Amino acid sequence: MKPDIKWLDDPEKFRIGELPAHSDHKFYQSKAEITNDQSSFVQSLNGDWEFAFSKNPMSRPADFYKADYDSSHFDTIKVPGHIEFAGYDKFHYINTFYPWEGRIYRRPAYSMGPDQTGAGMFSEGEDNRVGSYIKEFTVNPSLAGKQIRVRFEGVEEAMYVWLNGHFLGYAEDSFTPSEFDLTPYLKDSSNKLAVEVFKRSTAAFIEDQDMFRFFGIFRNVSLVAQPETHIEDLSIKPTVDDDFNNGQFSLDAKLTVNDPDATAHITITDADGQQLYHTTQSVAEKLSISDVSIKKVHLWDHDNPYLYQLTIEIAKQDGTLLEVVPYQFGFRRIEISKDKVILLNGKRLIINGVNRHEWDCHSGRAITLADMKADMQTFLANNINAVRTCHYPDQDPWYGMCDTNGIYMMAENNLESHGSWQKLGDVEPSYNVPGSLPQWRAVVLDRAKNNYEMFKNHTSILFWSLGNESYAGDDIEAMNAYYKEVDPTRLVHYEGVVHDRNYEDTISDVESRMYASPDEIKDYLDHNPKKPFLLCEYMHDMGNSLGGMKSYIDLIDQYPMYAGGFIWDFIDQAIEVKDEVTGQKVLRYGGDFDDRVSDYEFSGDGLMFADRTEKPAMQEAKYYYGQHK
Amino acid sequence: MANTNKQLQIIYSDGTLGLGGDGFHYIFSYSRGGLESLEINGKQWLYREPKPTFWRATTDNDRGNGFSKKSVQWMGADMFVDATSIDVKVNDQLIGFPGAPTNNKYSNNEYADKVEIIYHYETLTTPSTPVDVSYTITPNGNIDVHAHYTGNAKLPDLPVFGIRFVMPTLASGFEYDGLSGETYPDRMAGGQPGTYHIDGLPVTKYLVPQDCGVHMATNALTVTRKTTKDNSDQSKTPFSLSFEKLDQPFAFSCLPYTAEELENATHIEELPIPRRTVVSILGAVRGVGGIDSWGRDVEAQYHIPAGDDIDFGFTLDVSNR
Repeated sequence: MKPDIKWLDDPEKFRIGELPAHSDHKFYQSKAEITNDQSSFVQSLNGDWEFAFSKNPMSRPADFYKADYDSSHFDTIKVPGHIEFAGYDKFHYINTFYPWEGRIYRRPAYSMGPDQTGAGMFSEGEDNRVGSYIKEFTVNPSLAGKQIRVRFEGVEEAMYVWLNGHFLGYAEDSFTPSEFDLTPYLKDSSNKLAVEVFKRSTAAFIEDQDMFRFFGIFRNVSLVAQPETHIEDLSIKPTVDDDFNNGQFSLDAKLTVNDPDATAHITITDADGQQLYHTTQSVAEKLSISDVSIKKVHLWDHDNPYLYQLTIEIAKQDGTLLEVVPYQFGFRRIEISKDKVILLNGKRLIINGVNRHEWDCHSGRAITLADMKADMQTFLANNINAVRTCHYPDQDPWYGMCDTNGIYMMAENNLESHGSWQKLGDVEPSYNVPGSLPQWRAVVLDRAKNNYEMFKNHTSILFWSLGNESYAGDDIEAMNAYYKEVDPTRLVHYEGVVHDRNYEDTISDVESRMYASPDEIKDYLDHNPKKPFLLCEYMHDMGNSLGGMKSYIDLIDQYPMYAGGFIWDFIDQAIEVKDEVTGQKVLRYGGDFDDRVSDYEFSGDGLMFADRTEKPAMQEAKYYYGQHK
Repeated sequence: MANTNKQLQIIYSDGTLGLGGDGFHYIFSYSRGGLESLEINGKQWLYREPKPTFWRATTDNDRGNGFSKKSVQWMGADMFVDATSIDVKVNDQLIGFPGAPTNNKYSNNEYADKVEIIYHYETLTTPSTPVDVSYTITPNGNIDVHAHYTGNAKLPDLPVFGIRFVMPTLASGFEYDGLSGETYPDRMAGGQPGTYHIDGLPVTKYLVPQDCGVHMATNALTVTRKTTKDNSDQSKTPFSLSFEKLDQPFAFSCLPYTAEELENATHIEELPIPRRTVVSILGAVRGVGGIDSWGRDVEAQYHIPAGDDIDFGFTLDVSNR
């Protein structure tokens, strides 16, 4: 397989050579490794990488991936991190417009006609910055001799990958992992991993989120070794009986089996460690357990986020452990009643939620575990019971924290094409993508699949969200159908369908709006509403705001079909820099970096300031979110 | 001559009216539109005369929904308000304006049980509307302050109505009996009643400086300073001034900046070096809103309609001097 830079221009090229998306379960060599969360199958490649920055594809060092390329002139960059934070490219904040507004005329491929292929739009884009990364590594002894893949947890916005001069593949979808098998080209000695990251590709049209626009390897990179026999994918399916007394547990696993004599020991324990179920099975490529009954099941919800422990041990015939997979899961049921009320475990669901961008004023969207833990503490201290992962999948640990702490998740796909259908506030979808364009369907379906496959076992996810502000069409309808097919147990959310009611019956289980006034919500709910109502965004907390929240909270008592909403948003997006005049540390927003066109201070709408201190409005959110806990 | 009968001494000067008593001395200016000097135990509390205030630094929501443009007249009124006439009452009796030469009939031994000075302002709006601020002083030195805004429906909604005190130096902190945190009429349910001590004069660090630091439903506010601008005063001993509610609780903010200073900055670091204390005692505050930041109005019940009269008052309590 040969790489082609023209893939950057082609919406049908977004996933080449990648391993299939799979569940986010971890696997360890021993139980002791679980305790320390240190898997000897994993080798981090975070740290210093060699790096070269190029203004555009034409000036990039195209041969840098070759084994004999002399990279002695390369700089050093920290991975993970955004290339802008390393000082190579300008910070740029813009809301709905595409980031090339006023500089380059572009229309999405095929949006203006089937012959408009967009050839050269990004592969020869003058604004298409390039980061050429090289990492030399030697495989740790604990991984050596096994099948080994490289795992990129987040790379924005398109990348080509080589190992020792051999091309491995191409990936988009900045916020979900990309994995490539390294095994055929690995050497015992030093290996050269080369990654070419582009700031722009066709993905730019569907990653037009309201945020600072970054590129680079901004999440963890690791080598992952596969044990001889290995659970590649795990699908846990806990259900709750109609009487909410008992639960049923089912499981499907996909394995790679190189030791057919191995056995799988599957155990379920409750939160006290009491074993509830155990079975031993011979390994096979497909392994299933059906309808194990758990009597008097503890239901999971915000007040009591009760989790059970699943443990799967794969052992050789002689008892040697090949891998241990632990996974915590809960029993809960989310549904819409015949009265069109959203129910969790048979009781009305009330969402006291926030939208949360991943943000750290020192590193942008390259946030740390400490940031996540701090955010969770803030949620718990302020009666926040729900989060929308606006507008992309978050780092994996956040989902587990939401399971553990009973935070209801709206798990959103990485999709926003705002600039393609809304211009200066007007709905003007003349070149909307994905719309109903067949050439844009596979890429958005792949994003839905990446999101589903990775996070499907997280009890906290009650809603899949198809994306944000991307209008409506056959392609988003197909995403809805995908989720309905693979996951009948959760609800599907999408707001953009309100702009094209032709899709009302086939997109979104809920009527979702953003920034509707209390009167507009009443108007919907007073006139034969088709669906339960929620606000995926409300209470725009820009600067000194969050006034009038009472009018929304009062709706909860007035309308059972009103499920609450998600405040916009959790934390300001601002960047800490040294003031050029005084030298003091200050927070800067859009437009402060000579970045134009910008939406300036619109980047700061949080309940938290960008330095993770609370805005004064937080006590108000805490009060009202405490009214219907 | 010693004030043995605990009355208020009145100094009928040519350009000012002085009022003295044990440990306090006040001077009301005839030419500068307000109280020029508020000395308590020799410490000056005023940098410039307190005046009615009508403007708040534009919030993001004010900008988004165009409120600042609609209400822009109030910014000019806030910056340039001036008194058109002054009335003086002694022991509840209106006296002829005691300027020169009328004041030749007085002496250095004039006393009363109660003196009231009323400043009549006309707002620099189109149309103009009267605003009166009265100061009633009793021999214990306390000053009851009343403000009256005369409604005129031809004017735009007000951003705020109150009286702004600018103190000569930075306060070391303030203490108030009211609600926790920064509160506004449409964002005060989460405020916990209590007594709160605030160190220094924090400015809420919104990305773009804007109106901030308002505290609704306040019963009392005590501002404490340690420094003066008096070159002969080297003391660092804290001294305080209290604002007490009269009939109704009041709202206030206590910041190192005026609304106009906040208005002019696009970042916190552009604000001037803090050097004074700006206390705004507020009788009416507009809500901040929150439905969105690009057009939705603040809910109607949290507006300040210009057509309605506004009356409020408070006491400057110097009893603990």
